[in-house]
Amino acid sequence: MRNLDTQRARWIRLRMGVLCGLMGLGLGGIVSSAYRVQVDDGPNWRETAEKQRQRRLHVEPKRGTIHDRNGTTLAVSVEVPSVSADVVEMLRGIQGAPAQKAALRDAAARLAPVLLLDPNELFARLARKGRFIWIKRRTTAEEATKVRELGDPKKTSRPIRGLTVEGEGHRYYPGRELAGPVLGFVAPDGQGKDGLELALDEELRGHLEDVKGIRDRSGRLIFSEGTTDEQSLQGHNVHLSIDEGIQHVAERELDVAQRTYETKGASLVVVDPNTGEILALASTPGYNPNDYTDSEVDSRRDRAVTDRFEPGSVMKVFNVAAALAAGAVKPTELIDCERGTFQIANVTIHDTHVNDLLTPTQVLARSSNIGALKIGLRLGEPALYAAYRRFGFGEPTGLPLPGEATGVLRPKGRPWFEVETANASFGQGISVTTVQLAMAMAAIANGGKLLQPILVKKVTDGRGRTVREVTLHVRREVVPAATARMVAEMLTAVTEPGGTGVEAAVPGFRVGGKTATAQKADPATGKYSADRYTASFIGFVPAERPRIVIAVVLDEPMIGRYGGDLAGPVFRRIAEASLRYLGVSPSASAPKLKSAARDGDTADATAAALRPMMDDTPLTGPALGAVRVPDATGLAARDAVRVIMNAGLLPRIEGTGRIVRQVPAAGHPTPKGSAVRLLLEPPS
Amino acid sequence: MNLKNVRTTLATKLVPPLDAKPLAALAAGPVDPVFAAVVIGLIGFGVIMVYSASAVQATTQNHDPQFFLKRQSAYAAAALLAMFVVSRFDYHRLYKLTYPLLLGVGTLLLLCVVGFGHSGGGAARWLAVGPIHVQPAEMAKLALVVWLAYSLAKKAERVNTFTVGFLPHLIVAGVFMFLCLKQPDFGSAVVLLLLTFTLLFVAGAKLGYILGASILGAAFGVAAIRFREYRYERYLAWLDMDAHRQDLAYQPFQSVMSFGSGGVTGLGLGRGLQTLYLPEAHTDFVAAIVGEELGFVGVATLCTVYLVLCARGVRAALRAPDDFGSYLAFGISTMFAVQSLVNLAVALAILPTKGLTLPFVSYGGSSLLVNAAAAGILLNISRQVPEDAKDGMTPEAPAVDVADLVAQGAQR
Repeated sequence: MRNLDTQRARWIRLRMGVLCGLMGLGLGGIVSSAYRVQVDDGPNWRETAEKQRQRRLHVEPKRGTIHDRNGTTLAVSVEVPSVSADVVEMLRGIQGAPAQKAALRDAAARLAPVLLLDPNELFARLARKGRFIWIKRRTTAEEATKVRELGDPKKTSRPIRGLTVEGEGHRYYPGRELAGPVLGFVAPDGQGKDGLELALDEELRGHLEDVKGIRDRSGRLIFSEGTTDEQSLQGHNVHLSIDEGIQHVAERELDVAQRTYETKGASLVVVDPNTGEILALASTPGYNPNDYTDSEVDSRRDRAVTDRFEPGSVMKVFNVAAALAAGAVKPTELIDCERGTFQIANVTIHDTHVNDLLTPTQVLARSSNIGALKIGLRLGEPALYAAYRRFGFGEPTGLPLPGEATGVLRPKGRPWFEVETANASFGQGISVTTVQLAMAMAAIANGGKLLQPILVKKVTDGRGRTVREVTLHVRREVVPAATARMVAEMLTAVTEPGGTGVEAAVPGFRVGGKTATAQKADPATGKYSADRYTASFIGFVPAERPRIVIAVVLDEPMIGRYGGDLAGPVFRRIAEASLRYLGVSPSASAPKLKSAARDGDTADATAAALRPMMDDTPLTGPALGAVRVPDATGLAARDAVRVIMNAGLLPRIEGTGRIVRQVPAAGHPTPKGSAVRLLLEPPS
Repeated sequence: MNLKNVRTTLATKLVPPLDAKPLAALAAGPVDPVFAAVVIGLIGFGVIMVYSASAVQATTQNHDPQFFLKRQSAYAAAALLAMFVVSRFDYHRLYKLTYPLLLGVGTLLLLCVVGFGHSGGGAARWLAVGPIHVQPAEMAKLALVVWLAYSLAKKAERVNTFTVGFLPHLIVAGVFMFLCLKQPDFGSAVVLLLLTFTLLFVAGAKLGYILGASILGAAFGVAAIRFREYRYERYLAWLDMDAHRQDLAYQPFQSVMSFGSGGVTGLGLGRGLQTLYLPEAHTDFVAAIVGEELGFVGVATLCTVYLVLCARGVRAALRAPDDFGSYLAFGISTMFAVQSLVNLAVALAILPTKGLTLPFVSYGGSSLLVNAAAAGILLNISRQVPEDAKDGMTPEAPAVDVADLVAQGAQR
C-alpha cells in the first residue's frame, strides 16, 4: 500500500485490523468452546465414549459342553453364522429420503433371495434405520458366503455397506431327546432356560462380565481388553454322572411303558447306591431340546424331580426299617393282620388279601397295610415322622435341577392324628418325589447311609482344569448297617415267587425292592379316585451287593394299575441292560444265594396261596376293545405274565409252578385290560 | 541511512506499471522464517495425525494400515516442493496468470458439475485425471483470491464504486459459488463468499454495499438450506443433536465426544479410540482426533499455531511492497484463517457440517497442494519486503503499530 496516499493506507490497515479482530474473536470462541467440551465436560464425554466402545458383546463366549460320565457329548455349542446390519452405515453418503428409501429397497431386494426372506418384510425392518438389526440368524455357510460377497467391493459393483456376518453360538444336543428334561435348553439370547442349562447357566456361560470388546461403528469387534485368551473366556464344561447307555435304555423302556400302559407320565431314576451318582434320570413325555419350540411346556419338566405324589406301599420299607432299628418290632415277630379289616378312629382299613399272622418280611412281601400300620403305630407318630425325615423325605435332595419339589409329610403342618399316622405307615397322606424314593432305597441298599445324589460330577474350565468336583457325601446315617442289611434281605422276598414284585425279578440275580400302587387323590373331590393310580417299583440289584437302585414311577396308567405288574417289568428290563452295561455278571452265585435265602426264610415259603397283593381293591379297567386271550398253559409264571401282558390283559397268578389252567380260556374274546386268572401248580 | 531514497525509488518503480518486475534484490531476500516454519510444522503434524486417525479405516477397508499415511506423506513431500518452488516464483508474474487461472479453475468446476465429477460423500467434488483425483473447489479459493487481489489493486480508488468496484467481483464470485453449490459443496461456497467480502472490505468497498450483499447472501444461504432437503435435515439434526446422535448428527456428535474424551491432556498420540466411530476422522474431522489424543492443550496449541500463521501472513500483507501483494497476502491469510476456523467450529459442532478441510493437517492432496502453493505465494511476498519496512515501522505508518493492534484484537 505504499503506492497509496497515507490516508487510504491507514484505512486499509484499520479495516484489516477490524477483520483480524473478528477472526480473533472467532478463534477465542473456538478455544473457549474447546475448553468447555474438553475440560469442563471432558469426564462425561469420556464416560459416554467408553460406554459406546464397550457395548456388551451380543456374541457370548462359547458356552461350555455337557458330557456324560464317559465323556460322550450331551450338549455342545457350535458357531453358526448370523447376519446383521447397521442401517446408518448402509445409508452413509446417501442423501435425501427418496434416495435412501430406494437404497434400502435395493438392499432388501438383493438380500432377500439369498437368505430366503420376504423382501417387503426385510425392507420394513431396514426402514427403521437401527444401528443394529438382525437380518437372519443361524444361516447356512453358503448363505453367509453370499452375504459376504454382497458386501465386498471386490466381488460386486454395488456393495451393500454395513453388513456384518458373525458367528453366533447355537446349542446342539446330539442325543436329541436323550435326557432332554435333565439338560434343558438354551434360548436364542444365550440364556439357559430349563434343566441343567438353567441351573448351571452361570458356569456354562463363561465370564461374561470380563468380556468387553471394542467395536467400531459397524459393530466389528476390534480387540478385547485384557482377556485375549479365548479359552479363558469360554464357559465351563460340565461332566455328569449320567451314563448315556443306561440313560438311553431307561428312556426307551420308560417310553415303551408309557405307550403300553398309556400312562399320563412316568419318571425313573437309576442311582449307584454306593456313591450317590445318578446314572440315569428319565422323564416321559420328554422332548428334543434341539426343537424345544415344538414341544409342550408340560414335557420339559423333569418329573423325577419336580413332581410329588403319594408313594403308597413303598413307604412300608422305611417304616419297617425304622421300627426294626428302634426295636419296636422284632424281625421274627408275628404281627396280627386282623384278617384284612381293621378299624381305627371310624376309619376302616382293608388289606387286599386276608392275612392272619405275618412276619415283617411277609408284611413287606405281601404288602399288608394293616401289618404296616400296626408297626407304624407301635413306632409312634414322632418317631415315624422323624424316620421319614431321616430318610430324606420332606426335604430337597439337593440335585442341581430347577424346581425340585420337597414333598410334604405333614400336609396340615401339625403332627399326625392316629389315623394319619396309620395312613402314613403305608404311604398315604404324604407326598414324595421319585428321586427321594431312589435315595432312600439307596440308603437301605448301601447299609443305612443317606447319600447326596450326584448329577454333576465335575466342572472343568476351557483349558481342562478342574473347577470343582463333587464326591461322595453322606448326608446322614439313617439306620444301623445291620438293620439296613436285614431290610434289604427282607425285600428280596418281594420279587420272589409269592411276592408282589415277581415281575421285577432279574434272571440270575437276586433283586430287592418294593412295589407300590397308590390311589391318587382327586383334586375335584378331595377323595381318592377310583381309577387313577400311581404304580411304582423301587428296587436294587444285586441284592447281596447292590450296584444300582432303580426307581420306576408310572403316573396314571390307563391299562392296568399294579406297581408289580406295570413298573416291575420296566425295572427288570432296565436292570438287565444296566447290569450288562456295568459288567456285573449274573453268575455271581445268585442261585446259591437264592436257595440259601429260601432256607433261612421258611415263613416266606412259596406254599402260601399267593396272588399279587395290592393295597387297594382293584377295579376292572375300561374296556378298550376286545382281544383274544392267549394260551398261557404250560408256561412258567414269568413267561405267562409276559404273554398275558403283551395281549393287553392283566394276569392274576394263583399258586406256584407252571400254569395248569386259565380263566378265561385261550381264544376267548375279552375286553382289553380285563383280568386273566392263571392257576399254577408245582410240577409233580 | 539512505532510507528515503530507497523508498522513493520503490514507489516510482512499483506503482505505475502493475506488472513491472520488482527489484532483483528484493526478490532474493529471505523468506519469513516463522511463517515457513509454521507451515512445515503443520504439514508434518498433519501427516502424523492423518496416520493416527486413519489406521483403523485403512486396515479394515484397504487392508493396509499405512494406506493413508503413504499417500499423505507423498502429498506432503509434493506440497513442500510446491511451496519452495512457488516461493521463488515472483508473485508479480501472477498478473499474467490471473485470468488463465480463473478460467481454468472455472472450467474444472464446470466439468465437475456437468457430470465428470466423482462422487465422494454424496457430492461430485472430484475430477479424475488418470489416477489423480483433484478437487477444483480447493483451487477455486486460491484462484479467486489471486483474481480479487489483482482486480482490486488495479482498480484502486474506484473500488468504492458499485459498478466497477463492487458488482464485477460479486458476479465472478457468484459464478464460482454457484458452481460449488451445484456439486454440492456448501462449505466452499461460504468460504468463497467470505473471502470476497473480506477483500472487498479491505480494499475499501462501501460498507453499505457489503452489508446489502451480506443480507442478500444470507437470504440466499437460508434458501439454499431450507429448500435442499438434505441440508435442512442436517441443520435440524444439528439443532437437536441429542435426538439425532444415531443418524444425521452422528458425525458431529461423535466428533464432540472425541474432543470431550480427550480431556485436558488427551489420551496420547495414537491412542485415540474415536477413530473407530468417527467417519472421515482423517479428513474433515481430524481436529477431533487431535482433541482426543492431545487434549485441550493440543487444541489450544493448534489454535495458537494458526494464530501465528495468520498473524505472520497479515504482517506480510502490511509490509508488502505493493497493493497487489498486500491484498494477496491478506486474502491468503484469510483463506487459511476462515478455513481453519470453520473446520474447528464444525468439529466442535458450533456450526453444522460443512465439508471443509483443516488447512495443512487434513488428509487430501488437492487441499494440501493448493494451501502449500498459497503459502509459497505468501512466502514470496514476505521476501519482497522493502528495506525500510524491515525495522517494523514504515515512515508513513501511523504511530500505532497495526501489527500489534491486530495481535491484540486476535487475542481478545
